[in-house]
Amino acid sequence: MKHFTYLFLIFLGLWWTSCKKIDNFPMPSETIKGKVVDVVTGEPVLTDQGSEGTRVRLMELSWKGSANPEPFDFFCMKEGIFQNTKIFKGTYNIRVDGAFIPIVRINANGDTLADESKTLEINGVTDVEFKVQPFLKIEWVGTPTVANGKVSATIKVTRAVSRADFKAKIAPMGNYSDQDLDDMLYITDVRLFVSESPYVGFREKDDRFTTIVNFDKNNTDPELRDFEPKLGMPYTITSQNTIPAGRTVFIRAAARINYATENIKRHNYNEAIRVDMP
Amino acid sequence: MVMKTKYLVFIIAIAGVISSLSSCKKFLDIPPQNIVGEEDLFANNDGMKLYLSRIYSQMPFEDFKYSPARQFFDDWLVTPGTNEGSSLGRDAGEAMTSEGWARNGAYWGRAFNLLRDANNLLEKLPAYKANFSDEEYNDYIGEAYFARAMVFYALAKRYGGVPLVTKILQYPENEAAALEVPRSTEEETWNQVLADFDQAVANLPETSPVKGYSNKYVALGFKSEAMLFAGSVAKYNKITGFGQKTKVRVIGFDPGTSVAASKKYFTEAFKAAEQIILSGKYALYKKKWAANDKEAQYQNMVDMFFDASSSENIYTKDYKWPDLAHGFDAYNIPRQLMGGNGYSAGNCPTLDFVELFDGIAKNPNGTIKVLDANGNYILFDKITDIFANAEPRLRANVILPGDIFKAEVIDIRRGIFTGSVAGGIAPLRAVNGATNYTIGGPQTYNQVDAYTAKGAFAGKKSLFLSQNGTTHEVVTLPDGTKMNAGGKSGPFGTSDMTAAFTGFAIRKWLNPNLPQSLVLEGRSEQSFILMRYGEILLNAAEAAAELTLAGVSSVDGHDLLPEAYEAISAIRERAGADPLAGPGDVAGQNGLMLIRKERRKELAFENKILWDIRRWRTQHSDQLNGLTQSDGAYYRGLYPFYSSVANKYFFDAGFEEARKRFRITEQEYYFLIPGGEVSKSPVIDQQPGR
Repeated sequence: MKHFTYLFLIFLGLWWTSCKKIDNFPMPSETIKGKVVDVVTGEPVLTDQGSEGTRVRLMELSWKGSANPEPFDFFCMKEGIFQNTKIFKGTYNIRVDGAFIPIVRINANGDTLADESKTLEINGVTDVEFKVQPFLKIEWVGTPTVANGKVSATIKVTRAVSRADFKAKIAPMGNYSDQDLDDMLYITDVRLFVSESPYVGFREKDDRFTTIVNFDKNNTDPELRDFEPKLGMPYTITSQNTIPAGRTVFIRAAARINYATENIKRHNYNEAIRVDMP
Repeated sequence: MVMKTKYLVFIIAIAGVISSLSSCKKFLDIPPQNIVGEEDLFANNDGMKLYLSRIYSQMPFEDFKYSPARQFFDDWLVTPGTNEGSSLGRDAGEAMTSEGWARNGAYWGRAFNLLRDANNLLEKLPAYKANFSDEEYNDYIGEAYFARAMVFYALAKRYGGVPLVTKILQYPENEAAALEVPRSTEEETWNQVLADFDQAVANLPETSPVKGYSNKYVALGFKSEAMLFAGSVAKYNKITGFGQKTKVRVIGFDPGTSVAASKKYFTEAFKAAEQIILSGKYALYKKKWAANDKEAQYQNMVDMFFDASSSENIYTKDYKWPDLAHGFDAYNIPRQLMGGNGYSAGNCPTLDFVELFDGIAKNPNGTIKVLDANGNYILFDKITDIFANAEPRLRANVILPGDIFKAEVIDIRRGIFTGSVAGGIAPLRAVNGATNYTIGGPQTYNQVDAYTAKGAFAGKKSLFLSQNGTTHEVVTLPDGTKMNAGGKSGPFGTSDMTAAFTGFAIRKWLNPNLPQSLVLEGRSEQSFILMRYGEILLNAAEAAAELTLAGVSSVDGHDLLPEAYEAISAIRERAGADPLAGPGDVAGQNGLMLIRKERRKELAFENKILWDIRRWRTQHSDQLNGLTQSDGAYYRGLYPFYSSVANKYFFDAGFEEARKRFRITEQEYYFLIPGGEVSKSPVIDQQPGR
């Protein structure tokens, strides 16, 4: 039994000594930060936080440990800005994908038509700005009103990229017909997201109160067939059910067109506002 | 003398060493005897039996050992139907967005083992052809093609384009780097599936030489299913993109070729199904069926899943305790008949599924009619009255409240209402006087006014519930007898979900003759029907309807619409559904929708429908009680209540109490390639955009 204990101690000693070699890679400490702005107005492109929002994709080109760099993804904050403070020093390609004209455009043969991604050295605090063309712009009109536990908000939706510009940029990506492009430009839904969290959006919504207005060309209700005539006009949207008195909720409006960037149909948003239920 | 002996010893020693060295060569240079090689296996039919056993044990069959959450070769908590919307379960019931928590890992890794065995057979068997008759040889080659087709099909429906490894990769003869095979396009992958099924059909015999082996019609059956999948993806898929490393369109079809491809695949699907129909070897199971006899039609559809001699079975996966058994009965048995492992009711059909069937009184929007013209509950004398005229197929799929199973009345009751019935009973889901049947309404009946004695019931508790299967609120009825609030099989709300928490239990596949003492995990041995004639008819009808929409009216001299009409009519007649008005019913877009609905009714719980809603690309977009699964959607249940005052039953229809949320994003129609495979290979691409 005594031998056993000695043996155990010897192995324990061996095991401990083998820990000596320290991880020889310094912790990543560089910072990449930036924002995604509307090329016309310079305003940030607001988004959801999560996989249906604006995605930032880093590819470390200076890493030679594998044949191809692995994408490193993270997501924009709802204000359209992003920051990551734990990045290894190196050369990176950075692209963003969201509810705006793709900055990297590839045609049906896989050839690159346009590439506005950025390749740069990340060292210290590196700041980048992407100028993009969002699909839609959503603005609050006035302040939301509250009655009977329901929030009513008026919004104005406009196209931030003109139909013609959209068609010119998207058509070569798949030799799309004009009919296809009109289908893509069709506004499929307008929403009023409600949540008790300020990070309200597609991923953070309360189904009980959130209102989704879907548009469908074949809808029996003519009001729900096409949002196009309502563009630029005040449009009022009301939450569902009764939000209990005394609660604080955050609301945000969003709309999207029938076009997927990186295979996800993403919404454009306006800023979240706080509503205190009386 | 001394010197001489020394020399002698030395010489003997040297001689000994030399002779022992040279003899090494002869004695030890033999193949290891514990490794069985091709020359042994491919020597005769007994050896081939072993080889094929290994192939079949790896086949990606979606049977009683398959679930979307754990994928293949795992029979724990197997509850088919819980991810396709037909039912919900405590341990399952959500959209399929990935390969779950597969204990066996993603199918990607496993697929290539079987693929190698199949390629090995195809490449090496020709050298041993002399050991077999032509018939035997062709059968084995056909089996190899069938296995390969099944692997590529299972991969393609999960990942889109995959590496088309059709030769044995020689390792270690070649460096690993030289053996890397990139993913092909999705179109090339489906073409490979088609080619391999065609080779299988050409080589396989008319009937399986050994039970469990494939045959020509098995291959044709799966071919029609696979081609329907390919045609649907070509037509409906919107997700596409190029691999980052290879610039290959690894998912989706080229917009320039998709229309022609979809037409080609639908034509192949139709032709394969038609070949089975014309062979006359199979027929819908109708042994006990009798026209206008709902009881006989119902019993016929229950029996067809247990009759080994069924003319409908094209291919079954058989089980035999103790060698190979499963636990379907243990996981899915109604609560009151629960077996020793403590599982039950893992598979609770949704009201949305039940409403698909005929013979139920419905509202104009297709939902079940539970309220009268004044908005109060309709009262029924018996709990079974609401489904008294239901389509027999529904009862063969689902145990409805008050139905008989294993000679017992299955007692499904949510609670007892003791309130007044004068002027009618108003809908129960009200909190503080506000009735709300939307997602914002009360989640469980524990919250409603009648239970909490608020609102219209202020100070007058009128609803009694059971919170689980052992502690009941007990109500004394007007005649003095006592009654538990909840039924023996539930539902008990969200606190005990090992009961019929949607108000229904499953009947399909449940063995009606298994003694309760044997309702255990790993004890059931009923066969799983992998391919049956009913599906062939549905495949033919759907392919025909799709081709008609694409402007094709006949294939090989068969007029498509009449064929589709005949197929659907036969299915509906056997099921006891209302007859169709005429061939116009299956024409056009509405006709296609009718055929799809028929499929959901006929093939529910058979591991088919989830793949159907995925290939139709409707899983994320279909409206489901006001929401879509891309936003997160919920199913409904039907909850029976007993009114003690009236001695009658009423039913409350609405969102099911567990609020199982189904959520999928469009890009999840293609599963992620396992990250390790992508990072270690210079050519394997991750799904574009992910």
